[in-house]
Parts: sequence; structure tokens; C-alpha cells
Amino acid sequence: MSKKLKSLTVNPCKMCMPMGAVHAFYGIARCMTLLHGSQGCSTYIRRHMATHYNEPVDIASSSMTEEGTVYGGEKNLIKGIHNLCRLYDPDVVGIATTCLSETIGEDIEGIIKKYHAQYPESRVRLIPVSSGGYMGTQFEGYFRTLRSILRHVDMKKEKHDRINIITGMLSPADVRTLKDILSLFPIAYILLPDASDNLDGGYEESYRRLPDNGTTLEEISLMAGSRLTIELSLFCPPEDSPGEYLKEAYGVPLVRLGPPVGLRDTDAFIKLLSEISGAPIPERLKGEQGRYLDAMIDSHKYNAEGRAVVFGDPDFVYSMVRLCCENGLLPVVSATGTSSPRLLELLHDEIGKIAPGLFDEEYAVLDKADFERIEELALEKKANLFIGSSDARRIEEKHGIPLVRCAFPIHDRVGGQRISTLGYSGSLNLLDSLTNTLLKIKEGNYRKALFETYFKDSKVEAPQACGVSATDLHPCFSCTGAHRYARIHLPVAPDCNIQCKYCVRKFDCPNESRPGVTSQVLTPEEALQRFLDAKKRLSNLTVVGIAGPGDALADFDKTRETLRLIREHDPNVIFCISTNGLALPQYADELVALGVSHVTITINAVDVEIASQIYSHVTMMGMRYSGMAGAAMLVSNQLLGLKLLASRGVTCKVNCVVLQGINDHHIETVVEKVKSLGAAITNIMQLIPVKGSAFEHLEMVSAKTINEIRKRCERILPQMYHCKQCRADAVGLLGEDQSLILYGKKEPVQEVPREKKGLRFAVATRSGILVDQHFGKVDEFLIYEYHDGRVAYIERRPIGQYCTGGMDACDSQEDKMTRILKALHDCEGVIALRIGVAPQRRLEEKGIHTYTTYDGIHEAIAKIAREMTGEEAV
Amino acid sequence: MKAQSLLLEERQGFIHQKGSCGSVSIQCDTESLSGAVSQRACVYCGARVVLNPITDAFHIVHGPIGCASYTWDIRGSLSSGAEWYRNSFSTDLSEQDVIFGGEKKLWEALSEVTRVHSPRVIFVYATCIVGVIGDDVRAVCKRAEEKFGIPVIPVMSPGFAGHKSVGYRMACNALMELLSRAPKAPKRGGSVNILGDFNLAGEMWIIKNYLEEMGVKVVARITGDATCEELMHAGEAALNVVQCAGSMTYLAKRMEEAMGIPWIKVSFFGIEDTSQSLIHIAQALGDREAEKKARELIARETRALEPVLCRSRELLGGKKAAIYVGGGFKAISLIKQFREIGMETVVVGTQTGRKEDYDIINSLVREGTVVLDDANPAELEYFIREKQADVLVGGVKERPLAYKLGVAFLDHNHERRHPLAGFVGVRNFVKELQLSVNSPVWQYVR
Repeated sequence: MSKKLKSLTVNPCKMCMPMGAVHAFYGIARCMTLLHGSQGCSTYIRRHMATHYNEPVDIASSSMTEEGTVYGGEKNLIKGIHNLCRLYDPDVVGIATTCLSETIGEDIEGIIKKYHAQYPESRVRLIPVSSGGYMGTQFEGYFRTLRSILRHVDMKKEKHDRINIITGMLSPADVRTLKDILSLFPIAYILLPDASDNLDGGYEESYRRLPDNGTTLEEISLMAGSRLTIELSLFCPPEDSPGEYLKEAYGVPLVRLGPPVGLRDTDAFIKLLSEISGAPIPERLKGEQGRYLDAMIDSHKYNAEGRAVVFGDPDFVYSMVRLCCENGLLPVVSATGTSSPRLLELLHDEIGKIAPGLFDEEYAVLDKADFERIEELALEKKANLFIGSSDARRIEEKHGIPLVRCAFPIHDRVGGQRISTLGYSGSLNLLDSLTNTLLKIKEGNYRKALFETYFKDSKVEAPQACGVSATDLHPCFSCTGAHRYARIHLPVAPDCNIQCKYCVRKFDCPNESRPGVTSQVLTPEEALQRFLDAKKRLSNLTVVGIAGPGDALADFDKTRETLRLIREHDPNVIFCISTNGLALPQYADELVALGVSHVTITINAVDVEIASQIYSHVTMMGMRYSGMAGAAMLVSNQLLGLKLLASRGVTCKVNCVVLQGINDHHIETVVEKVKSLGAAITNIMQLIPVKGSAFEHLEMVSAKTINEIRKRCERILPQMYHCKQCRADAVGLLGEDQSLILYGKKEPVQEVPREKKGLRFAVATRSGILVDQHFGKVDEFLIYEYHDGRVAYIERRPIGQYCTGGMDACDSQEDKMTRILKALHDCEGVIALRIGVAPQRRLEEKGIHTYTTYDGIHEAIAKIAREMTGEEAV
Repeated sequence: MKAQSLLLEERQGFIHQKGSCGSVSIQCDTESLSGAVSQRACVYCGARVVLNPITDAFHIVHGPIGCASYTWDIRGSLSSGAEWYRNSFSTDLSEQDVIFGGEKKLWEALSEVTRVHSPRVIFVYATCIVGVIGDDVRAVCKRAEEKFGIPVIPVMSPGFAGHKSVGYRMACNALMELLSRAPKAPKRGGSVNILGDFNLAGEMWIIKNYLEEMGVKVVARITGDATCEELMHAGEAALNVVQCAGSMTYLAKRMEEAMGIPWIKVSFFGIEDTSQSLIHIAQALGDREAEKKARELIARETRALEPVLCRSRELLGGKKAAIYVGGGFKAISLIKQFREIGMETVVVGTQTGRKEDYDIINSLVREGTVVLDDANPAELEYFIREKQADVLVGGVKERPLAYKLGVAFLDHNHERRHPLAGFVGVRNFVKELQLSVNSPVWQYVR
């Protein structure tokens, strides 16, 4: 057994003995149950039964206290019986022990005697049952209680012509079906127990709080003289079996049958009734049998696609497995929480017979199961259907495997009291539910499944649940995805095979939020760990990206290994890589094989001459090529790579950096070209000028211009408007970089705003730690004050972005600038990563100085303020 | 049936009808009466309610299977991250363990869980028989913590040791134990912890959104949607805001003693409570700006609710309500909420209310209203009928009773799927009331 936690029961597939005891007593007329133990036992059981049966469930408790636990609960129990009788006036009170009273060794029989001595006028019949929670499950508790009832009722031994019918925990509706079948034969019978009204009462004008239907004490007393007992349970342990007791104590012959569910077991029961009554099988039942047979044939091919997980009480599991098997629906996992080796044996016989015919020898049967193990097995055996109680609802929710609810307890649907599985009619009802659940899966998915399997001309998305395309889940490819789904960039590829003139690659500068920068380069194993950690924290993590910090394909061994490791742990996550495209023709096939479904290629030019102005050199097979030769090689490989990927169904995005005076008039040509080769979307971006790079002093194109270019290009290909130019190790939703939090740095200490005392600065920051935002991109400033050598945070000031960079471009730029000026009226300075010439001038006009830096906020302010005040550094 | 024959003598003191003199002398906060069919749960239940919403904690129930089985993922606490709390772990003690002791089993369980899952924190619940069979859960937890280097915290919650409130207290003790492991960190000005909201149907998120709109930072959410890491920072908050006073006042007091964090009680049920609470928080922080924003928020939300409430008063005004809920504060909020829409409360009871709560309740209700402590189904049935209530507010166990009596029902339990807190909660509250009270089904059965 490969269960993850062997020493713990995880998500129990069983309940405790008192639960069974309460159910048994509920089928006795005018009976109340009193649980001798803590208040919680009765309350929990009431809550469980109330949601399932939608009936008031009143169960008393002796409400044991600390004192009772130490000195015995006799006093409390006697008082409890008395109070319960006062409130409900029952004929019978079932007294079931719990873990606590059983452990402290309460002598219930003795206490009952004392009760009668104390209240000699009381006519109530007190029936004890030993049902400590650890002594078995609800299954044994139920039968043990029935047996105890027989032992404690005064029996009449005179023989008569009736038969005893003893059932397991059936739903009220199934009990009614059973009585209906019995009524078709000339048989007088006593049914034990009968909760069909007590747990499924109708609405009546006056509510009666005492369950007054069910098997009466009078009827029970006659059971010793019956001519036969039919016990509809195969797995009740002999020492708990009520039928065995009647046989041993009173010589009543016993026949044990499985519950009459499914064709064979209903046939057997009906045949037996016909034999003992000497009457032929009624036409009505023959008709019902015929209809069930007809339904079996009608739906057999649908059922053959079923792979069921059956779980619950041994008798329930047995019945369901038999019903599945006779319909060709393979029970791939059959599990009971109770210990029952005999069940396992019978299940092997049953399933082993049909499994080979369904091309599948793989199935599991287990007892003492919990849902941790059931879940593991269900996934392993590729189950597509659960049959049992609502306890599998979490698995249904988590893995999308539908659950047919047909056993106690059901907490999340109505109608638990009307579950119908018994006889031909109940079996037919259940079979229809099973088949329809399978049909729903098929009808809901077949178009998509067939399209994805056979339609090769267009894109085939990565495997995904729930009919959402992979691209919708990718924040960098879809606007809806951008706000809901998270991605993680794993910095595993430090090397680069080309030199762009706008790039200086350094790894250790966490304040630059742009591609190619990362705090730390990871090994594939570390990358896997980071992915697993992030996944724990971000449930909406759908995308793993490799964006460098160099080029994902320049270090292909590392990229390949990283993707392979992650795929082993997560079959669904979307793989995305980002590359300059130089090595794409070489690795395109391998990328497809690895399951990479999204690739971003940065193509700044498709004209070799223009390209030669952007790239200093490229490195291929250990050789360095510069100028036109290098550019030609790069451009041709980029375009060929794009074509190869797109034709193999990979979604390709082309990034294009706009460089003033170099390629700004060439962008549309690029977009047209890449469209013809199969690109799905382009992302036209602004240059981020970097100190030390060849383009350090190249003037940035305005956001307005970028948006105009994007608008023009939108006529050719969809455009990405929400790009945030992420760091290579970014984690989370676009615009909410969590990497600083995830990887160990703290949020800043905040203080309450106060009156202005010193110099105030407005800081443009995204991280809240560093000055790391462009002035034009801010939608809020953090306001700090410098006073007496101390830098203090004052408050946040949201202002709405100066330039949204969105569809509405910068129409109202002027308004926003005015707003900013107003918002910053009390500031001596503005500190930003960068700032345009125009806003800088406007700020200076108002006497607000501007500073650009990459520094930490506190350090930057301290430095600037000291310069302003002429103070010495401390 | 006459009240006299129905009410047990020993229960008389727990039932009070508001008289003209207005004084109240109701018995409460005692053990339940044996055999009276109390609606209360046990100590373990109380402890589990409070701690369960910590999403990345491993909740291991040390005991036989029942306790774990009946508390497995039945509550509506939502998580924004980890889902570990939705599992039920049990040492599933057997007859053998009861005879020979369960310590070894618990130790093996802890070793295995730490090895396989690397949990952040483990809570071990000691249930009824654990102490009786002689297991020293504290010692096992201590040893596990030393060996595995993660907090392993015993929650002493044998069911018989009192009622649900004792369980709250045990959970608060467990939380304090966890917090005591946090390193000392500087205070974060203007920030709060939210205590006693369990994020049922996202209520913690709703409250946090309000506070964030006011510019008030939330350090730790105790315990709705909390993580272990977050709880460890709780000591840095400037103020504790206590929503479910019944369960968390004790923790707030202990945190005040140990960490010097002042605290205030709040309630986010109903417009009146929510509004007052938001302003109270801002003022307690001495944050003028937050107060101003709170007033703006309240004005905006109240304005938006006005048409809804107007309509509710037309449809529900004059109807009579019966309340039977867990704690006193919830009952008080509900009485006020009913008043906001012109409904009168005719029966009100709680499982674990205290004397102070009943004093307030008595001052809020009209003459003739019946006040009950630790009521049973028979009493509820009797008074709902006698007072001709149109609707009962309660939990899962009370619902079928109301329906059998032909009375509408409002779910105010931990399993609900819709928020009742905050301004949006008011909308849901009146909507649910209308849908049930004015349902066409009643005309066929009454």
C-alpha cells in the first residue's frame, strides 16, 4: 500500500459506532436515543443526520462533565433518562455508550436497574448498547444495536407464520420500496428496523417531536417465534448479527442475502419470497425486471466507458460493485472504511470476471480505506465516476470527477432521505443516474476532444481542464489572463548568444524591473523547487516561463532540464519561453516535444540593415559574427524559427522594441512579416535605457507614440497593451511582482501620517523598497519626510497614472499633470527611476526638484536631502 | 401542550420573559442539563471552529475516528492559498490503543507528517479519552517540536471539560503558544489584527477590503484565511479588532497583557454595527484620515442600501423573528438588524451567551419577548408557536424544526455559502429573509 501517510487516517471513509446506533434506534417506534458521553457526540451526529435527512433529529446526551468522568456518570445518566422521558414521553430509550463512557467503564445495565428502582412508575423500556467510537464503525454499531434491542425486549417464543426481515442502513425510500415488494406476496412479516417515516416524515399540521412510527416493541417481541429470518446483509459480523442471535437463542432459521440491489440480488430475493410464500412472482415485478433488463441493454455501451470508484459500507460497496459489474461498468476502485476481508474476497471474484473483457485488468479493492488513499488510486486508475456519499465532494471539486450521491451522508444536495437503489425500480433509477453522468461527460466534451486530437492544421493547445484554452490562462498572451492567472519566470539561462545595443546583462540588481535582470541564477533543480514553492502560495499559477536572464536557447541544456523536471511534477502547467530566436531553428522540434506551447521571440527588425544597427554581434557555433553578417544570420533564423514553431501549433508572440530613429518607422513591416509566418500577437514596447549600454542616451519614444504604433498595427495583428516588461524572475500576476516577498525580503515599516516637519519627497516606486518606477507610469506616490537626519514614511498618494499607455492614450495628459502637481504641492522633490523632459520642466517650475536614481528609497532620500541641506552623512 | 408540563423544572431559570420592570435574572454559562437535548456542541468543537480556518496548518485529531469524521471540511471558511485545513487527519485510535495508550501512534503520525509534507505548524487536538487513557499529549508535542523544528501545538479539548466556550479558550491558548514563538519585531503603526472572523463565504476579505479602503493595514487575520507566517507577525499590529467577541475576547486580553496591543470589540453584522465599527477602528488608531474615509465609505454604502432596505421594510415590516444562535454578540447584532427593517424579535436564545450579553439583549427587546439560554428543540418549538414567529434564525440542526413548524428560516451558521457580514451582508440578509418569509410554499401548508 503506497498511501502517503501510513500512521494517520486522512479524510475518513467511516463514521463511529454511535452513528450506527442512532440509525438503528430511529427505526423503532416511539424511541429516543441518549448518548452517554460528552455533549459534542450527540450534536455532531444530529448535525450530520439533519443535513442528510432534512428532518429534525433530536438525540439526547448525558452531557458528561469533568466530575462525571472522574467519579462516573451514573447520576447524570439517570437524570438524563428522566428528563428525556419528561420531554418526549417515549416507549423506548436507547442508551448508547461513547468513547468516553466506554473507556471509563460505565456499567449501563446496572445504572438502568438503579433508574427503575428510583422511578418505579416509569414504563419506559431502556435498551443499552455498547458502542464506544473506537470499537468499530457505524456499520458494526448499527447491527450491534439491533442485536441489543432483540436481547432486551421480552420475547414471546410461541411459533407463528410470520418472517423476520432485518435490513442494513437503508434510506427511507428504499425501506418503502422493500415494504412495497413484500406487500405483493402473501407474506406476514416483521421488519426491523423501519425508519421510513421517522427519517422522512411528511408535513403535518401538528408536529410530533417523538418519532412514533417504526417497528413496535410488540412486533419485536414476536420475532423469536417467526418461521424464518431474512437478513439483508452479507458482511455484518456474526457476533453483531441480529439474525444469528435469533437463530442461536430461539432457533429461528436464518437466510442471509445481499441487499436486493441490481438484477441478480433482487432476483434472488424475489425468488426466495416466492418460495416461502408459495406464490408465483407477481406480474408487476416481472414487468419491473423486464424494464430494468431493457435499460441495461439500452445503456450498456455508455456504461462500458465508466471507470467507477465505489466507497462506503461493505454491503453498499458490494451492491454497487455488483450492479456496476452486471452493467459492464468497471469498478476500478472499491473501498470500505470498515475492516472486511470477506468483502475483498467477493469483490475480487466479481470484478475479476469482467475486467479482462473491458480490456483492463487494473482495479483495486481495499478495506480500512481513507480518502487520501482513495484519491490516489482514483487518479492512478483514471476513474471517471464516483459512487457513494457526499464525502467524495472534495475530490469531485478538485479533480472534476463527477460523483453520484447515493449513500449517507449527503451534505450538499437535498433528497438524501429519498435515495432509491433497491429492487428493480431503485436499481433502474440508480443505473439511469450513473449512465447519465457518464453521458454528460461525453456529450460535454466530445467535440473539443475530437477537434484537438485530429484537427492538425491549426494550433493544438496544451492539455487543459475545464475547456479553457491554454492561451486564456497565460497572462502574457491574454488580457483576461493578465488579471487572473499568475506566471513564474525561472532564471536558469544566464548566457546570451547575441549582444543587443540596449542591453547590459547583470544578475544582481533587483531594482530593475525589466527582462534580462534577475536576483539569482538558478540550477534546474533549484528552479523546480522555486516553482513548487510558488505553486503552494499562488493557486492561480498557470504558466512557467524561461526568459533568461540570458537567452533561453543559448543555454538549452539547462532550459530543457528545467522544463523536464517541472513537467514530471505538473502535467498541466503551461510552458513558455522567451528568446531572441537565433537558435530557434535548431531547437524548435525539441521545444514542441517538451510541451512548450508559447514562445516569445524578440524581433526588432526584419530588414538586415536596420538589424545591423541594433545588434553588435551574434555568436553561432562558437563563432562571433558582427555587422551585416551577424544581423543577416539572426534575422533569417528568427523568421525561420517563427515559421517552424507556428506550423507546429505553438502560439508565438513577437516582441518588438521601438528605438527612436532606428526602427520606429519599420515596426509595421515587422508586424506584417511575422503575421505571414504565423505569429499570434505582437508586443510593441518602449526602450528602457540602461546605464552602460550602447543606447544609454538614446531618447525614449513617448508612450503616446507607442500607442499610435500599436493602434496602427492592431489592424494587422492583435496587440498586447498590458505588458509590464517583467523581470526574468518575476512571480505572480502581471503588475504585482511577488518575487521580493517570496524570496525573503520584507515589507516596509509604515508609520501614521503627521504634520509636516521637514523636507518632503514623492517617490515613484513599485516595490515599495526601491526607487524603481518611471515617473510616467506611477499611479501613486509614496510620500516620505526627511527630518533631523531621519527618513519617515508619511503616506500613499494615489493620483491616477500620468500616462496610462492604454487605449485612451494620453488625451488627458494635461489633467493628470495638473493632478500630480496638486498632489505633490507640499513636496520639495520627486524621486523616480526616470522622468521625461516635459514633466520635469513643469515640476521645476513649481519649485519641485526632480531626481532620478535606482537606489533604495531611504538611502536615496537621505542622500538627496543631505545634499539639499548641506548636512554631513552620519 | 402546556408550558408547565413541557419545561423541565431545572430549565426554568434559563428561560426568561421580558417583563415590565425590565430586570433580568437569567441563568446562563453553566453545564447543559443531561437528557434535555441541548443544541450545544463540545469543547473540541469550539477549539476546532477557532483554529480550523488557518489554511496551512495541519489539524491532527488525536482520538477515535468520530471527532475527525464529523468535522471534516464542513465549514464555509475560504482560503486564498493553502488548502491543508480542508483535510481531516486522525490518529483513529482503536480498542488496542485505548488499552495500551496512543502516544506511540501520535508520535509516529507527527514524524510521518513532518517528513512527508513539511507542515508550517501542527495543531494536535486532545479529545475525550486521550487524558483518560493516560496519553501525555503535551509531552509528545514538545518532543516533536524539538525534534522536527516546527511548532507542534497541543490543543487541550476533551469534550467533557465544559461547553463550546471552553473550547474557544483552549484554541486561544494554542494561538498564544504559537505567537510566543514569533521573534520580537517592531510595531507597525496604524495597523490592526482582525480577531474572530473565520472568513465564512469570504467575510474576512470583505472586512479587509473596507479597512484597506480606509488606509488601515491588516497585519494578521485571526483566523479566517490565515497562514502560520501571518499569525507570527500578529505582535506587530497596533490594535486588535475583535469581531466574534465570544471566541476571541480572551485572546485579545492575553495579547494585550503579553504584547501590549490594545483591543476593541466590533461587529460587522448589520449597517449600524458595521458603520460604528469602522469609525471605531479609525478612532482607536487616532487616524483622522481613516476616519474620514470610513465616513465616506459608510455614506456611499448606506446610500446604495437604502432602496433595498425600503423595499424590505414594505415586504417584511411587522413580521416576527425568533433567534437561536451560538453566541450573545451575534444575537444582539441580529436583533438590531431586524429592527433596521421593522421586524420585531419575539424569541431570542443562545448556546453560550453570558450574563452581560443577556442584559443587553433584554434592553433591546420588547416586553413579552422570550429569552432562552441553552434551549432545546422542545422549548424552541413551544415558544416559536406561542409567539407566532414568522422566521427562525439558526444553524443546521434548527432548520428542519422550523420547516416542520411551517416557519421560514435564515441560515446563520458556519456552513453558509453567502456572506452576511458588512454592507453586502445586509443585502444578502434581507434577500434571504424575503425569499424565505415570502415564499409561496407557506400558503399551502399553514
